[in-house]
Amino acid sequence: MKMIFTMLDRFSGFLKLIGGVALTCMMLLTVVDVIGRFFKHPIFGSVELIGFLATIVVAAALPYTYKVEGHVGVEILVRLLSQKAQICIDIFTRTLSLILFSLVSWQMFLYAEDIQRTGEVSMNLEFPIYYLVYLLAFGMLIFSVIIFETIVHDIKKLRELKTK
Amino acid sequence: MSPTFIGISGIIIMILMFLTRMPVAFVMASVGFVGFSCVISPDAGLVLLSRNIYETFDSYDLTTIPLFILMGQLGFNSGISKRLYDAGYKFMGSVRGGLAMATVTACTAFGAVCGSSPATAATMATVGLPEMKRYGYDDELATGSVASGGGIGMIMPPSVVLIIYGILTEQSIGALFVAGIFPALLVTLLFIVCIYIRCRISPEQGPPGERFAWSEKLKALLGLGETLVVFTLVIGGIFIGLFTPTEAAALGAFFMLVIALVRRQITWQGFVKSLMETLRTSCMVLMLIAGAVIFGKFLAVTRIPFEIAGWVSGLEMSPVLVMGVIIGIYFIGGCFMDALAFVTLTVPIFFPVVMELGFDPIWFGIIIVMVTEMGVITPPVGINVYVVYGVAKNVLKEEIPLEKIFKGIFPFLIAVIVGVIILITFPSIILFLPNLMY
Repeated sequence: MKMIFTMLDRFSGFLKLIGGVALTCMMLLTVVDVIGRFFKHPIFGSVELIGFLATIVVAAALPYTYKVEGHVGVEILVRLLSQKAQICIDIFTRTLSLILFSLVSWQMFLYAEDIQRTGEVSMNLEFPIYYLVYLLAFGMLIFSVIIFETIVHDIKKLRELKTK
Repeated sequence: MSPTFIGISGIIIMILMFLTRMPVAFVMASVGFVGFSCVISPDAGLVLLSRNIYETFDSYDLTTIPLFILMGQLGFNSGISKRLYDAGYKFMGSVRGGLAMATVTACTAFGAVCGSSPATAATMATVGLPEMKRYGYDDELATGSVASGGGIGMIMPPSVVLIIYGILTEQSIGALFVAGIFPALLVTLLFIVCIYIRCRISPEQGPPGERFAWSEKLKALLGLGETLVVFTLVIGGIFIGLFTPTEAAALGAFFMLVIALVRRQITWQGFVKSLMETLRTSCMVLMLIAGAVIFGKFLAVTRIPFEIAGWVSGLEMSPVLVMGVIIGIYFIGGCFMDALAFVTLTVPIFFPVVMELGFDPIWFGIIIVMVTEMGVITPPVGINVYVVYGVAKNVLKEEIPLEKIFKGIFPFLIAVIVGVIILITFPSIILFLPNLMY
């Protein structure tokens, strides 16, 4: 289990890197496009490309954001409870999140398969979109595994509290 | 079960789930998905889940968000905040409470390149708090002005909350941006007046600093240059229709990076840090929007927003009174929940009501941003207060009690309320610039 988690950690670090590169590309691509437009040579399909890059940015950032507790929640009530109760609530809500994002990932794979079959392509570049949906589905899958990992961690913490 | 009943149960369950500190975005998505499945069918719910998340992430309008966040982050990590503060300080430092006024003004200026309120507060706290400490400023005044001034960053374009409002209500982001300029300046002015009155009453709170020669003042003004250039390019470009908001954001971020590189003020680490911080914040914001979109679809099939809108307009209450109630809800909600999350959650509910009553959508956008801005500085969830508290602990190496910061904020809160009343009485302060656009 531990080995899987270290590998997962490395992988989400790698994803973070991809996200950073995609973000930089987004910026540079737009700048080049705008400058090109002034000289009557805009980049063909730049709007689509930027949308694709944005999808990569978010998909790659999902595991990292969850790890650093980047999502906003309402803390006021839970803060008043004992540490044990807090962990129990966390395990419960994380399980709900796990179910939600496993469903999302599963549906995303089905959706990707669907548009692969119908051969849907993007409007200008005629890029097959299903690649992107597969990528997002995969990002969601990794994200779900990360949520699972935090649940395991929480259970461990709870055990330690009990033995004390 | 009628759709309305499912809708109301969904809202109640959602509020209960918020209290478990589960991320707001995930709660909205879960409740939206389950509710939609109950009203239509589970298959439809599953399809909704995957398509909406993909479409949100792929949307061109939303690409503005990471790019504007990146622009603010690059500004943060390249030290422009110090130069902005310096300019304000050289001009106003010699007046009683002048450093606090300089802080507030610098917050507005920084807000012109940064779209988030806590980021503005954190930036200016790092620069402003040590200076105010050095001149013997009262902790209450010092922390209060930084935390409240940070709130202006949310109204001053570019503003992430306004982008989200624009997307959820299908309003022009450009129009919302230019509409925010004068309200932001109004609040800045009110804050300065507020500091002035405060230091009149108790002069020991903000002793005057040293006076600078005009040559030095003018030199400090040069420090405003890059911010002014970036702001004019970005907002001006959107205003005259030269760029889309996404293009403006990308250009802004790029120029910020170039300026930082030319001045040798950004390191490789600083750049990577900006990227990572941007990834995290963008992911959080986009998940919130995805959650709000799913929840909004569920609300739409329950027809609750339309029923409320119909009901309210049937009440024959004066629209101003209804607006007062809505503002009250935003104010209270903003006290308990993150401003961004609260806006994404409630706009789908209240927007139809407000339209039914005949208010201007751009005007309403600015008003709710103003009101939720009060939320970021009021207890118990005033995020700016925690940010300033944290920065004070790191930078000043001393702990300023939270109550003290909240107390320091109180006069500024009154100033914001005065500002909201002025904007309700004179809507043209908000609307005249966007009206020039068409």
